[in-house]
Amino acid sequence: MLAAAVGLLAASCGGSSGDSKLTVLAASSLTDVFGALAPDARLSFAGSDELATQIREGAQVDVYAAASPSYADELYAEGLIERPRVFATNRLVLVVPSDNPAGIEAIGDLHRPGVRLVVGAEGVPVGDYTRKALEQLGQTDVLSRVVSEEDDVKGVVSKVAFGEADAGFVYATDVKPAADDVRAIELPREAQTEVLYPIAVVVGTEHREEAERFIELVLGERGRAALRKAGFGVP
Amino acid sequence: MRRAFDLLLVVALAILLGFLLLPLLALFLRVSPGTLFAQLGSDVALDALWVTVKTGLIAHVLVVGLGTPAAYLLGTRQFRGRSLVLTAIELPLVLPPAVAGIALIAAFGRRGLLGGKLEAAGITISLTQAAVVLAVAFVASPFYLRQAIEAFASVDRALLDASRTLGSGPFRTFRRVALPLAAGGLGAGSVLAWARGTGEFGATIMFAGSLQGVTQTLPLAIYAQLDQDQTVAIAVGALLVLVSLAVLVSVKFLPSWTRFSSA
Repeated sequence: MLAAAVGLLAASCGGSSGDSKLTVLAASSLTDVFGALAPDARLSFAGSDELATQIREGAQVDVYAAASPSYADELYAEGLIERPRVFATNRLVLVVPSDNPAGIEAIGDLHRPGVRLVVGAEGVPVGDYTRKALEQLGQTDVLSRVVSEEDDVKGVVSKVAFGEADAGFVYATDVKPAADDVRAIELPREAQTEVLYPIAVVVGTEHREEAERFIELVLGERGRAALRKAGFGVP
Repeated sequence: MRRAFDLLLVVALAILLGFLLLPLLALFLRVSPGTLFAQLGSDVALDALWVTVKTGLIAHVLVVGLGTPAAYLLGTRQFRGRSLVLTAIELPLVLPPAVAGIALIAAFGRRGLLGGKLEAAGITISLTQAAVVLAVAFVASPFYLRQAIEAFASVDRALLDASRTLGSGPFRTFRRVALPLAAGGLGAGSVLAWARGTGEFGATIMFAGSLQGVTQTLPLAIYAQLDQDQTVAIAVGALLVLVSLAVLVSVKFLPSWTRFSSA
């Protein structure tokens, strides 16, 4: 019985290393694009910060694609990934529930008392971009309307989509999948800080060739077309 | 033959024990005790502690206040549909936390069954501290109810009848006879419910959101700090382990303690 238990355990970790599949860690916002580009790879999607933690803890992975340069730069400086290359850009938008109960049409409307705003937490890429955009607009005081600081974009989108929040800041590419429930309001040009997506080979990969081929695919014509279709910008 | 068998049992126990305790031990070894204490004094940790204690206390008053009479009814009377009610009460116990979160939104959210009407009256629950209280009460109350029903059911029926024959009213019988005799079980249930409420995470993050000093409880603070300051996350985690240990120990000793004191 003991042997059977150990055997079962061994069988269940067999999936995570030692076989020939390419493993890609990518920011949640890349789910659809990467799924279409690399149907055979093992894809793991989460917040860029969370994925960076996994790499630091020694996860056996091959490619890292993040929604913010800061984590990639840190990992590169620590010698954990190779030089990152920017393959996509995104932009911040304001989303409101499709029935827009608080009647929000612009950032200025967020000042109204009673408005319930949801943003990403500090340290989460979307949260940091949000604060930067508000700073550039001189509107950081709307942060007093914040009722929840979410740990990833999904948390922001879902609270607006359910109608529990009146507005939230997310990436432009998050709007399309939730188009039935939310409506996007573009931010003024001066609020935009370019959201850069870097990609890199993870140091110590056992699939160097496949990893490089995947990155070339993403940077190439097919990758650019798929990214554009999902609402990303390409450099 | 017998010794080989015994050895096998001991080996199995040792592996299991190691597996269950190693992660908890690792948590304490990961950060030095000095840092642990220092991080517990951080704003995030203190705010989270305050939110957890405050919402936990309010939820607990609700759970015990409504749960005790309800459990007395269920524990001492037989009626049609009683087992149906018992099953319904236990449902939140086995419900995945994410389901509890969506269910609370569907009921008390701004577009919810009841929440919609409250919203029209100008009351919003979701993404406020009241939402934390509801989430905690929702997941914790079955723990109290289960123990309380059992405690009242095991009170000797003859004692209750004797009290009534001696001229005590039903309320006096409940207060002077049933309540003291069930006190041990009620106390144990109360502590267990409190512990479950303190650890509540899934329903809270969906229904109440996470805002430091308002809705961010200790478990939510751990999650939020994972990508910010991991020593804070670990320190709060270690604190919760100690709290859980204290809860378990008190549940083990509470029933015997009250039995002695009421004897």
